[in-house]
Amino acid sequence: MQERILEILSEYCEEALTYNGDSMMEDGIIDSFTVINVVSDLEDEFDIEIDAKYVIAENFRNKEAIIALVQKLLEE
Amino acid sequence: MQFISYSFVILWMITFALYYLVPKRMQWYVLLAASLIFYGVGLGGFPLNLLLTGVTTYGCGIYIKKTLEQEKEARKQCVDREQKKTVKAAFQKRRKRVQILYMAFNLGLLVFYKYAVIAVPVIETLTGRHAGFLEKVIMPLGISFYTLTAISYVVDAGRENCEVETDFLKVLLFLAYFPSVTQGPFNRFSRMKEQFEGEHGFSYDGMLRGIQRFVWGAFKKLVIADRLGIFVDRVYGVEAASVSGSIYACATVLYMLQLYADFSGYIDMASGVSETFGIILPDNFRRPYFAKSVAEFWRRWHITLGAWFKDYVMFSFVMSGTGRRLGKACKNKWNGYGRQAVPIMGTMLVWFFTGIWHGRTVSYMLWGIYYGLIMSVSLVLEPFYESRKERLPVKGKHGERIWTFIRMARTWLIVFLADVLIRSGSLAQAGAIYTSFVTRLHIGSLLSSEITSYGLGRYDFLLLIPVLLIWLAVSAAEERGLDVRTVLAGRPAVIRWACYYGIVLMVLITGIYGGSYDTAAFMYQSF
Repeated sequence: MQERILEILSEYCEEALTYNGDSMMEDGIIDSFTVINVVSDLEDEFDIEIDAKYVIAENFRNKEAIIALVQKLLEE
Repeated sequence: MQFISYSFVILWMITFALYYLVPKRMQWYVLLAASLIFYGVGLGGFPLNLLLTGVTTYGCGIYIKKTLEQEKEARKQCVDREQKKTVKAAFQKRRKRVQILYMAFNLGLLVFYKYAVIAVPVIETLTGRHAGFLEKVIMPLGISFYTLTAISYVVDAGRENCEVETDFLKVLLFLAYFPSVTQGPFNRFSRMKEQFEGEHGFSYDGMLRGIQRFVWGAFKKLVIADRLGIFVDRVYGVEAASVSGSIYACATVLYMLQLYADFSGYIDMASGVSETFGIILPDNFRRPYFAKSVAEFWRRWHITLGAWFKDYVMFSFVMSGTGRRLGKACKNKWNGYGRQAVPIMGTMLVWFFTGIWHGRTVSYMLWGIYYGLIMSVSLVLEPFYESRKERLPVKGKHGERIWTFIRMARTWLIVFLADVLIRSGSLAQAGAIYTSFVTRLHIGSLLSSEITSYGLGRYDFLLLIPVLLIWLAVSAAEERGLDVRTVLAGRPAVIRWACYYGIVLMVLITGIYGGSYDTAAFMYQSF
């Protein structure tokens, strides 16, 4: 699962894979367009629905946070 | 009540003293009392609208809390995932109805106060009756700011991204907090609640840092913004045909700086006041004129407003049922560009609302659409830009620097053209000014005596040079990650205090004051 998430992420923003900070959106690594496209692909790939309530900087602070979000939604 | 006034300084001093004298768990009551006094005096009457928003916000929050608790109980009784989904959808629908009612009421108030005046001719044409009473409607202080702040709380509560507050007075303090009630920044409830409830002991460093930031804000407002404003107002106030294009270009560049100095000056003052209470407001500016693209510019300018529109308009639309359906329908169309259709619609929506939030004229609407289009076009053309860049001779350190400068200059030009639109009194004037850039630029006017005939004398221009250089030096240091206040604190006392006194003296001696030592109103206060 992790590999697939990272593949989706790298499709839109390779920099996100090497980013080591904890505020990817504020640091301008990913913008709202990237977030929307990544969310759409994750939803299709894992058959989950990512509500607007999950689309917050906290859940997109780095690649680990995105993986954790998908894991959480899969377990729900 | 302006920040730079005797009454504000007295209110600040009394609040500061009481804040650190009362038991720490009571500190937020002092802030609430100060906020209501600040707001009441500023408004010059009873704050009915603020209270109405406060009561409805509090009530809506409580309703959300109750239905969330009921939903959790109901989900416990469910036997499978499908049943849980059905229960969740039913409760979400109930919450959404109440949230829509809440928003209709509060946005309705905002729209009424903001647009009542311009609706007069339309209503008179439609009804054939005199609607002059609407011309007397005065927009309540800070309504554009506290309404959006309140909505963020209600949406976050519904999304379970913040804890619902059960104390009405804390909700009221969140909305009315006096450093930010009139012009922001837009606070988020969870961040502010934690700080309001925290126990803050007196700190000399905290007080000093707060005062330093306040004085720096006053420097930007009084020495830079209000001085530049004299020239800008004069140039934009005369008949367009009588001014050369270069003078208009100069006035527009100065307007870009004026608006930034004015608004970021206000934010520095608000943040400085708040810092003396140990409460840190969110950043609202990150040196926007260092941005290399328009998108980056708007990530650095009025950051909390951009974040508000992104979280509550853009994502709400894209993740809504309609947004998802449209996304699926367009995804594989137009050679793969179809997947950008919904983000582009979201962007246009955000910028349309950003435009009408800022002003009630067609110019502001066009200003919003202009930025929306630029953002959308850059999104679609990004791969093209990247491939072009590969072919440009921008390799190496110098090449990168030149490329960075070109991109920054391109951003300045885009902002420059947009600012002509919003600074002009009408679309006709804006059109005449754009034309003057092409038909009668007359660069020589900038070096002739004409330049000093718009309110700013030779000495004002000479003063602006070092003042703007100080501002640029501070911004460049911050851009490199330095905190100027911390750097100063580490310098010998003589240098440190020379800097402090230097800035204070500049504010006192070279600041632009009115007849009774009042300052010009802050520009964003009218938005």
